[in-house]
Formats: sequence, C-alpha cells, structure tokens
Amino acid sequence: MTMPLEVSDLWYRYPGSGEDVLRGVNLKAERGEVLAIVGLSGSGKSTLCYCLSGIVPHIYSGDMRGEVLINGTPTLSMKIPEIATRLGIVFQEPDTQLFSPTVEDEVAFGPENLCLSREEIGERLELALKQVGMEDFRLSSPNRLSGGQKQLIALASVLGLDPEILIFDEAMSQIDMQGKAAIKEAIKGLKDRGKTVVMIEHDFENLDVVDRVLLLRDGVLQPFEGKL
Amino acid sequence: MKTGLKGLDPRSKLVLVLCLSTLGVFIQDIGILTAVLCASIVLSAASGSRLFVLIKKFRRILWLFVAIAVIQSVFAPSGRALVNLGGIKLITAGGLYKGVAMVLRMSIVMVSATIMATSNSREIVQGLVQWKVPYEIAFMVSVAIRFLPLLTDEIKNVVTAVQLRGIELDRIPARQRLKVYSYLIMPVVSGAVIKSRELATTMETRAFRAYPKRTSYMVLTMNRNDYAVITTSLVISILTLYITH
Repeated sequence: MTMPLEVSDLWYRYPGSGEDVLRGVNLKAERGEVLAIVGLSGSGKSTLCYCLSGIVPHIYSGDMRGEVLINGTPTLSMKIPEIATRLGIVFQEPDTQLFSPTVEDEVAFGPENLCLSREEIGERLELALKQVGMEDFRLSSPNRLSGGQKQLIALASVLGLDPEILIFDEAMSQIDMQGKAAIKEAIKGLKDRGKTVVMIEHDFENLDVVDRVLLLRDGVLQPFEGKL
Repeated sequence: MKTGLKGLDPRSKLVLVLCLSTLGVFIQDIGILTAVLCASIVLSAASGSRLFVLIKKFRRILWLFVAIAVIQSVFAPSGRALVNLGGIKLITAGGLYKGVAMVLRMSIVMVSATIMATSNSREIVQGLVQWKVPYEIAFMVSVAIRFLPLLTDEIKNVVTAVQLRGIELDRIPARQRLKVYSYLIMPVVSGAVIKSRELATTMETRAFRAYPKRTSYMVLTMNRNDYAVITTSLVISILTLYITH
C-alpha cells in the first residue's frame, strides 16, 4: 500500500560541511496519523522538515541521498508548487509567513497561485478559516493578531491549498497557552479528516495530540523512550 | 461603504498622485506650487489619509527642509543679496526663491503620496496587475512595503542590544557613535537576508509561480467617480502645464 509520506535511507549534508546532519533516516506516516519527531537543538529536526517538504533539495542545496516519497512519488522528481498541493508546512516564525495586508488575502494567496476559479478560492477560503476557527478575522490585518492567531492564519493559508500532509516545524514554540490549545484543536480536526500530520517538537507538553513519537538524535531517527 | 475620495479605486488614486507630483516637479512658480500643495493637502485629507499624524511623526526631520532651502539658496545664488558674509553672497533673493520652490516640491510629493497610503498594498498590487504590470513586480513592491516595519524593528533591536552592553549612544562622541553604527550594519543586513529567505521559502511552499498566470480572488472595478477623478486630474494637469510653460 502506498503511504502518504515515506522516507527511505535519507542522508543529508549542508554545502561546505564535513558532517552529515541526517544519517539514514527511515520513516513512514499513515493516513490520519499524527506523528511527532522530537530531539535536542541541532539534532537535524528542521533539516528533516526541509527534506520532507522538498525545500531540500529544490530551494536549499546540499548533498542529499536517499528518497522522500509523497504518495509514492519522489520529491526530487516534483517541483515545489506540485509538492505544495500535496504537502503543506507551517514554520516556527509567524511573522515571515504572513505577508498580505488582510487575512483573506493571505489565505487566498495559495489557491490564487494554483489558478483556481474565484468561486473555488472563495469556498476554500471559508473552509480553511472555519477549520482554524478564525472566520471572524477574515478582514483583519495579520499584523494586529496575537502570535497564536498568526500561526492559525499561517495554518489556514496552508489548508487553502488542501494538502494531504501537514508538517508543523516547531509551530507552537513562540505562542502562548491559548494559541497552543487552538493549534492542537486544529490538529485534532485535521486527523479526523484523514490528514497526515508530522509535528517537529521539542516541548513534551505538546505531544498530547500525537499518535506516535520518534526521536531524532544526531541525525538518526529512533523510537522515543521518554528521554531526549 | 466608502464614498467620495475614500472609496476610489487605487488606480484612480495613482493617477491623482502622479498628476500632483508631475505638477510639483515641472512647475517653477512659487504661487502655483503653493496652490498645488494646498490642493494636495485637501485631497489627502478628503481621501481619509492620516496626513497630520504623519506630519507629527516626521516633525523631527522638518529642519531638514529648512536646511535644504538654505543650501539651495547658498549654492544657486541669483538676484539681490539678502545676507552677506565677508563679501560672499550667502543668501540671495533668487537662491531663496529656488530653495522655497524645492521645499514646496518635496512637500507636494510627500503629501500626495499619503493618498496612496489609504489603499492597502493588496489593492495597489491588484490595481497594477489589472493595468498589466507583471504580478511579480507589483508583489515585490508590496512585500518591500510590508517588510519595512520589520527592518525598523530589527535595527531597533540591534541598537537596544548594543545599549544593554553598556554603550550609551547618546553620550559618546559623534565619531565613536558612527563607529558603533558601522558595527550594527552586519547583524541588521544578515537579519534582513535571513528574513527574506524565510519569506521566499514560505511563498514557494504556497505554490508561488506554479503557473505562468494566476487567478485573483480580488477584482477591482472602476465606477463613475473613478473616471471623473481620472479625467479631471489629467485635464487640469495638462492645462496647468500648458499655461505655465
């Protein structure tokens, strides 16, 4: 059976570096599964995120060996926009993910790039904002939102592309308890809709919504046994 | 619902601003320049801009305007000498006239630009796109505007970090202060580069430039008011330029 997300024997080394950041990572994520990857700073968590989302090698270069498969297709053979329709990523820093003057423009940006009809963009916009519970902020400026609300809008912007897989790269690290609760609620909703979620985390308190936890230590992915 | 100038299409505002700025640049007569400046102020206020808030914000650099007028007067002397210093004509009537004209010109450009600030960047981008300006170029301008405050914050943060290490920038000599500022350039630039790279990555992961064309959820439509403003602005500007030249 084809998995939504599959990684086989992935190695990665940054340009000019003498050491591999990822060393033979193998990973399979099922449909409707919420998977967490934990690890200390510098263990390669964000690099793994970049590899999963195709940012490596399409945007950041380096020496990548092994394969990342999205629904059985290697990311290497897909272009970033094609990956974007199947896999969405929410980053750590809310400010650099929001660049439009209103929430509506922000969420519509992705579907507009996909050349969808205006009617469909409208429908996706409504649905994405509803999924994150931010319908009332449609005409607000993202600059005036709290950190948690900004992350929810960043998530809605990704949901506008309707991807099957979502990656959260320490997306809750800069937000308050209320914001975390809202994001976790959104993750539960995504799971119920059969989406695959990969959370990169360092805070164990955020793991209450996940089905499985893996530990990334020195670039090697292994089962998590309660200690970093 | 916005009415009058407040409800104008950004393209109409752009034409209005271009007409006022063009008049400001080409007209030489101080009387007409003053009239254009007054018109700019009235139009800016009518469009709902925060003109007076901006003037308050920029009052610290108002002395720069006076300095420009004086410098212009010193370096472009003509006519009767008003102030002599050791036989050198420091300020002349002709020089002062040119200096005042220069200040009026700058004021017209700045005041008229506030009219554009009453539309959000997405509306301006959409206006330009509907004028067949490539989306990438229009979007680049809007992103630059969006990230200016972030760059300002970055500079403030670096300056604060320096001050927290015990350097009181207000109390050290100017030459040393300049030296400290030169040290700030690197972290500010690297911070800006990192932020732009993160932004570019986000845009790519949201399918930016997936296809040669893209749909716009927002569509701007011009109404009778817009056509009236565009026609009136163009006619008045052309007539003024024709009469004064």
